[in-house]
Formats: sequence, C-alpha cells, structure tokens
Amino acid sequence: MKAWYLCECPYPFVPEDVLANADSVRASLPNRYVDPRLAADLYHEVLDEFLLCDELGINVISNEHHAGINCLFGASPLFLGALARQTRKVRILSLGTLISVRKDPVRIAEEYAAADVLSRGRLEIGFVKSGGSEMASGNANPVGFVERFWEAIDLIIATLTHHDGPISWEGKHYRHRSINVWPPALQRPHPPLWAATGDPASSAELARRDILNTVVLRGPEGTKKAWDAYRAARLEAGMAPAGPEKFAYSAFVYTGDTDEEGVRVGSQLLWFINTSLKQAPQYGRMLPGQSPPEAAPVLFRTKPPPGGAAGRPGAMLAGIDAERAIAQGLMFAGNPDSVVRQINEFQAKVGGFANLVLIGRSGFMDHAQAEKGLKLFAREVLPRLQTPALASAA
Amino acid sequence: MVRDVAGIALDWTETGAGRPILLLHGFVPLAHDAPVLDALARAGRVMAPSHPGFGAAPRPDGFETIYDLVQLYAALLDELESPVTLVGCSFGGWIAAELALARPRRTARLVLADALGVRFSADPLHRDILDLFNTNPREVTEHAWHDVAKAPDFDSMPDAAVVAAARARDALCLYGWDPHMYNPRLGAWLHRIAPPCLVLWGESDRVVTPDYGRAYAAAIPGARFSLIPRAGHHPELEQPAAFAEAVAAFMEETR
Repeated sequence: MKAWYLCECPYPFVPEDVLANADSVRASLPNRYVDPRLAADLYHEVLDEFLLCDELGINVISNEHHAGINCLFGASPLFLGALARQTRKVRILSLGTLISVRKDPVRIAEEYAAADVLSRGRLEIGFVKSGGSEMASGNANPVGFVERFWEAIDLIIATLTHHDGPISWEGKHYRHRSINVWPPALQRPHPPLWAATGDPASSAELARRDILNTVVLRGPEGTKKAWDAYRAARLEAGMAPAGPEKFAYSAFVYTGDTDEEGVRVGSQLLWFINTSLKQAPQYGRMLPGQSPPEAAPVLFRTKPPPGGAAGRPGAMLAGIDAERAIAQGLMFAGNPDSVVRQINEFQAKVGGFANLVLIGRSGFMDHAQAEKGLKLFAREVLPRLQTPALASAA
Repeated sequence: MVRDVAGIALDWTETGAGRPILLLHGFVPLAHDAPVLDALARAGRVMAPSHPGFGAAPRPDGFETIYDLVQLYAALLDELESPVTLVGCSFGGWIAAELALARPRRTARLVLADALGVRFSADPLHRDILDLFNTNPREVTEHAWHDVAKAPDFDSMPDAAVVAAARARDALCLYGWDPHMYNPRLGAWLHRIAPPCLVLWGESDRVVTPDYGRAYAAAIPGARFSLIPRAGHHPELEQPAAFAEAVAAFMEETR
C-alpha cells in the first residue's frame, strides 16, 4: 500500500460569529479575515509536514482551492515547486491545479513538466473538477466546466507527450497555436495521471483513459459504485482488468497511541465537513450547469416540499461526529490496530485499492498533533497494510 | 406551440392579430398565459419565442452564444412578411439591440426594456450590471423586483416551474457569463441603430439602474427614455398593463 499525505492548509482562525453569519465561507468571505502572518506560519508548518513525510516514506500531495477557510494553497504551482525541490525521495502528486478554471492548459502542462524535471521524475498529475465556489474565484463559467475539464486533460496530455514541437491545438474551448514546452517532462510518455471523482459516469471515462481514480470521502457504497463502473468500462473497452493500483481512497486518517487519542485528535479533521463546506446557494445547489434541471425541485427550494422528499446531497453529512464518520468509512482513526482494522475492512468492501490518501490535518489540529499522527501511521500502520493482489469485488 | 426557424425548433407563443410584435424575454421565458401577452395583443400580433435552452424546446448542439441567438432571430425577421416592432426585455433587450443593428430594415421600431448588453462605465472597478451568478439569488431577487412578494417563489411553485427556472438559469449563464451580460463592442455601435427607439425602465430596477437606461437611450439617436413606476427589472411582469400601454402608445406615435 502506498500512502499519500494531504493537508489543504486550512485557515480556521476566523471568528465563529463571522462564520455563522456569512452565507459562504468560500469565495465571498472577505479576505480581511485572513492574517498573512498567520498564513506564513501555516505554510511553513505544512511544508515541514511534507518534509517529514519525505523521511517517513509517505508520498505527498499538493492541492489547490481558492478564497476560503478550507485551503490557503490557491497558488498551487508555487507549492508544488517547493515540494519538487525540497523533498528528495517520495513521489509528489498535484491534486491538482484546477484545470477547468485556468485559461490556458498549456501553461499548466508547462508547470507540470518543470515540476517533473525539478523533482527528477517524481511527479504525478491529478485532475480535479473544482468546487462550485471556484467558478467564482477562478472567474470561470460554471456551465460547460465538465466539457472544459476533459478537453483540458486532452490538451495537457498532448502537450506532455509531444516532444518534437511546436504543435497546435484548436479545440472547442482552448486554442493554442504554438505548443513547445521547454523542458518537456522527464517521465515518458508522461507522469502518472490521477483524477478525483466519485461519479460513476466520470469514473468510467477515467477507466477508458487509463487514469487512476481517487474517490474522496464517499464511504464504501459510493466508492464501490464508482470503481465498479471503472472496472466495467475497462472490460467493455477491451483493456486489461483494473488492478488495485488504479484506485486511491481519500479519507480522514489519524493514528494515536490509544483509541481515545486517535479519535479525539482525529475528530478535529471533521471541521472540514462541519465548518469549511458552508457555501452560498449560488456556489452550490443553485450553481448553473452543476446538476440537471430536473433536480431543481429539491435543490432550489429552501423548505422541503409537502410530503417531504429526500434531502440534498451532502446534507446527511452535516454535523457528523467521529463515531459516524468511522462507521461510514469517511475516517480511519484510533490506535494503530484500530486504524489497520478499519482500513482492511474498507478494502474488503470496495474490492481493493493500492493508494490511501490521508487527509491528516485539518481544522484546529496543530502541527505537533499532525506530525505525531504521521509518525505513528508510518511506523505502526503502513507496514501492516496489504494491497489485495487483484481487485475482485463482484 | 413549436415554430421552426432556420431548422431550429422554437418554443413559441403567439396571440393577437395585426402589426407584428416580436417580444424577446429576459431571465425567464414568458408563461403562455402571461398577462403582458394579452395586454400587448391589443396593439398587434404578439410573437413570444423562448430562446433555445430556456423553454421546452431543446438547445441545438453548439448553439451557445449571443452570436447564435442573433443569427437565429435575424433568420426569423427575414421570414416574417413585414418589419416587426421589436421588444426586448433585460437579456432579450441585449439581443434586440444587436438585432436592430443586424436587420435595420426588418425592424420597424425598437423597444428596449431594462435591457442588458452594454457597458457604459469607464471605471473597471465599477459594475454596471449586477452579478447575477456570483450573488446570492435572494439578493438578486431583491434587486430585480419592486415588490419582492410578486417574485417567483420556488417553495410554492409546482415542480415543473422550478425545473423550467433551472433550465433558464443554466441557459442565461451559458450565453451571458463572460463578459457578464454585455458585448464590449455593442456600445460603440448603438449610434447606428436606425429605427425609432423607446427605452423603458422599471423605476426600482437595481439589476441595471434607471441611470444605465438613460445612458442607453442617450447612445441611440432619437431614442426616448421612460420610467415605469412600481416596477423593477421586469416591468413586463410586474406592471404588464403599463408596459403594454407604453409599447402601444409608442407604436401609435411612430406609425
């Protein structure tokens, strides 16, 4: 099993009453609430955690979100560059530059090629479909973003795999007449590709494109649904069956000396769900192009219709506690034995994955707590995790 | 009903007889029984299509831009027997202004009601048009209606109407997201609008204020500006009788 550490570098220090009164903690929350001096401390702490991972043999993840309390890594390529130079051993996954809100995928490919060269071939490239609030902060039309997502991936792959440029691209959403990246990426044909989705149709598309599928916080049923679609799509396309190396699961993970410590400290990770996801309707349930219009009767109303239809997606997670998060497969936390057992049980339910993404620091968890959890995980949990030989969940 | 224009099926409402009036809707298509339709029908034959993507008819693949809408309605004007009174509300006002430039001889007169489509301010930090998509929908409603109680309420609307509103929101965003609800070059050509023009504005409109409307009128040779009291961004919905009267009177004046 390969482990990957993810910390989004959240900024939890906004006063509670401000968060309670704001209609969104992303995109529109005024940036007067973030103190750049505190942000500097956080940057240094989290980069130090990544360097600790380099010693511990845990791979690292550089991610990107914008204009919100959940993540200060908006300028993602800068941090990717720091990791490419400062780590020496582990692999580095960018998960990822928000390709459907950037105007020029060729520039993204250029940044990735540079990071691959700088890290001497340790880069992996992850594609994520942006959050709704990022359409505002990234100044991107939410309608059509899925189309842009796939075209941007195609253009980035074309840019990375052509080594006898210049080439040109005239697609529906992107046009670039002279593509000739110096230096090209070191890994050939290109660095390994990942994408985050829990949507079965998107998972199937990833399968056909031979892109690793990471599922984030979906629990065993949602994860299995996505990966079943992935496995089926590969077989339908006449490709080799998908082994566990094609899958990654991302969950809150915290290992303590005792169950009590693991759960108590780990439960701070749930700040991500309980506090950092609050967003105004225009960034979420009423974001144009996000959901089929037929879903609007549930999404647009502020009250459930008479007779009480099902709640909105995500609503069932609000106010979640550690016990429920562990039961639902969103969190693996406790002493090392418990964490190993929880992960193995999850493995058995979803048919096996070779990559575990540890969302290992969030909310008010501090640097010392994050480092302790990482060390215990690396020493006591990771060596005992087995990757099933073949994905075989029927 | 459905009308085929240039090979594209349009969700189409028509009422009345006589001089042709083409009514281009704003954020949402007009309901088939919208009071403004009957009120306007006293002045002529009212044709009120839904822009592709907004109403029940599908949006053709690749039909995603204001350019497509202008070409579509230009084809319609070419098909009709005589020049029309072109009435455009809000987003439809933007299309109407473009269309009056593209088909001056097919446009007998032009009515722009709380029209979008132009940027007047030279200050990049100033926003002429309320951001319809990055603003809380509750706030958009407060800016758009004189009497918020008359605004559509998703909680009490039937499911089909909520689905239609979502389709309209998606379509409006697709066509008008960037630049947000205007063509950076349209302002420079407004002086070429030839037909007689009336610029109608809801007195309480805060999506685009009456001052924006006055600037619109000032940029079009001979255009007259007129306020409709107790109306916001949708005078055709909030004050349909006053709206129809203003249009009918203008048609008489410019007969």
